[in-house]
Amino acid sequence: MRFSSLSIICLGGMSLALAGCGQPPEPVFAPSAKATVLVPAAQRLVSESLVENFGTPNKLVAWQQFPINYGAAEPTASDAGRHDEGWRLREGRKLYMVHCLHCHGVAGDGAGPTSRFLNPRPRDYRQGVFKFKSTAGGMKPSTADLHRTLVEGIPGTYMPSFVLLGQEQIGLLADYVKWLSIRGEFEEKLAGGMGKAGATSEELRKSYKDKRESDKSISYEAVENEILDDIRKELPETLTERAQDLTDDWLAGENPENATFPTAKRVRPDAASIARGRELFLSKDVKCSDCHGPAGRGDGPMTEQFIKITDSDRSYDTPGFRDFWGQPIVPRNLTRGVYRFGRRPIDLYRKVKNGIHGTPMPAISNRVTEEQIWDVVNFVMSLPFGGKESASPGEADGEGGEAKVAEAAGS
Amino acid sequence: MNRFWCLFFVASAVLAVVFFYIGPACGWWFPGVAASPLGQQIDDLFYLILAITGVTFIGVHAVLGYILWKFSGKEGKRSDFQHGSHTLEVVWSIVPAGVLLFIALYQMDVWAAFRMKSRFDQEALANPIAEVTARQFEWRIRYPAPGKVLQDTPQPDDLYTVNDLHAPAGKPVVIKLRSEDVLHSFFLPHLRVKQDAVPGLVIPVWFEANEPKAYDLVCAELCGWGHYKMRGQLTAQPQADFDAYMKKLKETQFDDGFKEAADE
Ligand code: HEC
Ligand code: HEC
Ligand SMILES: [Cu+2]
Repeated sequence: MRFSSLSIICLGGMSLALAGCGQPPEPVFAPSAKATVLVPAAQRLVSESLVENFGTPNKLVAWQQFPINYGAAEPTASDAGRHDEGWRLREGRKLYMVHCLHCHGVAGDGAGPTSRFLNPRPRDYRQGVFKFKSTAGGMKPSTADLHRTLVEGIPGTYMPSFVLLGQEQIGLLADYVKWLSIRGEFEEKLAGGMGKAGATSEELRKSYKDKRESDKSISYEAVENEILDDIRKELPETLTERAQDLTDDWLAGENPENATFPTAKRVRPDAASIARGRELFLSKDVKCSDCHGPAGRGDGPMTEQFIKITDSDRSYDTPGFRDFWGQPIVPRNLTRGVYRFGRRPIDLYRKVKNGIHGTPMPAISNRVTEEQIWDVVNFVMSLPFGGKESASPGEADGEGGEAKVAEAAGS
Repeated sequence: MNRFWCLFFVASAVLAVVFFYIGPACGWWFPGVAASPLGQQIDDLFYLILAITGVTFIGVHAVLGYILWKFSGKEGKRSDFQHGSHTLEVVWSIVPAGVLLFIALYQMDVWAAFRMKSRFDQEALANPIAEVTARQFEWRIRYPAPGKVLQDTPQPDDLYTVNDLHAPAGKPVVIKLRSEDVLHSFFLPHLRVKQDAVPGLVIPVWFEANEPKAYDLVCAELCGWGHYKMRGQLTAQPQADFDAYMKKLKETQFDDGFKEAADE
């Protein structure tokens, strides 16, 4: 193939000439908002511990403490240098830069360049809050859950499916997301802790004013140093504590015992079950319809309320729910048949039973039995079909109906 | 310098011959050999056009070269002025028009085979294997439950996947193409199938993969910033494997997660 190498050289030369040889800017992990409100000295402490323990985008550090498969050195691998210690993390980063960064951002802050145009916004992993998981409440997702999100995508949002990347690459990406989330949560907790200890510029000014009242000679620097000294003294301990907490959290998410599974088989989705489910859906006890509306269209009365802003006594000035990240969110229109968390009965069971972390959707009351949850699920699954009998496997009713072909083609 | 333009045009004719030969011979022109019977016919049409334009191009350049050689300017000799030739203009309008008409008529059969529903394999048309919905930036696929016929509206027992379209190999199959948002185009380069997905329309598209293997499925209509990522795959399988795949899909999709006590 002499011709093709020749033409590649020509084309390469031409495109270089056109594009110029400029280097793209070096990627950086942007600091979290919790860190940027701190006084500069405290900010430095945060960023130094982050660089030491997690590195920079071009020089990642694999903190062995965390339950992540960073990739051990594989000396037998012939592709020189690729399979050094921590190679999985580095490969994951490369893939992330190609496929995810423009939405989820370098630091996993959900603020990539395309994120501004999307609704819902791409996930900010840094609080460690995930919606799509098999675990209950605020628990972390398992690696398999992240895997599943990447394989299926999130229908009805801009999060695409990456199924064609294949198992291995998806595995690398899932681990990198986990690592970014741990890094982000570590930063938020560390900076948040320093903020609580009084190291934000605002708090510092306040304590300076207080101290001045008793001791006129005290200088601003002295107050700052006092607070920072305390923080510095406790820093090593804080770091290990934070890391330990995160390790425990992610290990718990990984523990198969924490994945939610029904203890009863799915109730047959016949008309009776759907009717029972409907009753529960509308009932005072379960109250799905307060949010999802009596017909499941996502227009229940609660969507008209003004919601209080977390950590403040004010409300948002427009009605409607907000999610954990402060973005407007509407209860799903269940008649559309688009299920972001998957359409398997088990997916819907988990959402109804556990609620959806990071959103207002609550876990169902624990007075409800397993069979009743299945009734509700059966009702929800029948909504796109006008509440008629929904599907269950292995039920062949023989008749398929007629194929209608639209008049679009052949003209 | 006198003869430069003459040699230039003759050389470009020679170069054209070389490229017209090595393009198809080295497989540069198309993405691989056509992987479907209709694809081969479509390629043949392209080759026919290549032959016609090739012969014309080379002929024109040969004449041009000859004229430049013969009549290139001589010292002291002035050129004649001519106001044009009516006959010549009629000839060079009618001949290409005739060629175009020939191509238009000649390709109609292939076009009809690809586009006219009456020419589709009627059994495949009555049993579309799936509905493929293009959206920014992926292919959402809905299959009818095994043994059922695809309906225009979603059914409770439909099966859903994304980006990976499975189909039996070695026989014509039909999918119904639609779009959820903007214009997309369903393009199977190896099968030479390309059809725009138009919002509001449901368009039947048929194709036949010769061999059971994975083929690229790409979007061929600039549909937004993520257009380049809108990649899918057509996995053609022997009928038995396809049936097994559908069965597995059905089991997964209706998984209720309940584990019998015996498992524990
Ligand atoms: C086009 C933008 C886009 C791209 C590209 C993208 N995502 Fe997303 N992603 C989203 C959006 C939007 C959501 C949030 C959906 C929601 O909140 O319902 C999301 C959610 C997620 C979640 C779910 C978090 C949870 O709550 O459980 C994970 C994990 C994720 N993305 C990982 C990735 C990875 C890894 C990549 C790259 C391989 C990627 N995403 C590429 C837009 C994108
Ligand atoms: C406080 C309001 C609220 C209540 C009560 C509530 N939901 Fe939701 N629900 C929501 C919101 C908000 C979402 C959207 C979450 C998102 O977009 O991530 C949602 C999403 C869902 C989904 C979508 C899952 C998917 O895969 O897309 C289902 C199913 C659902 N709710 C069922 C129920 C059922 C059944 C009940 C009663 C047991 C219920 N909800 C009670 C607010 C509520
Ligand atoms: Cu497209």
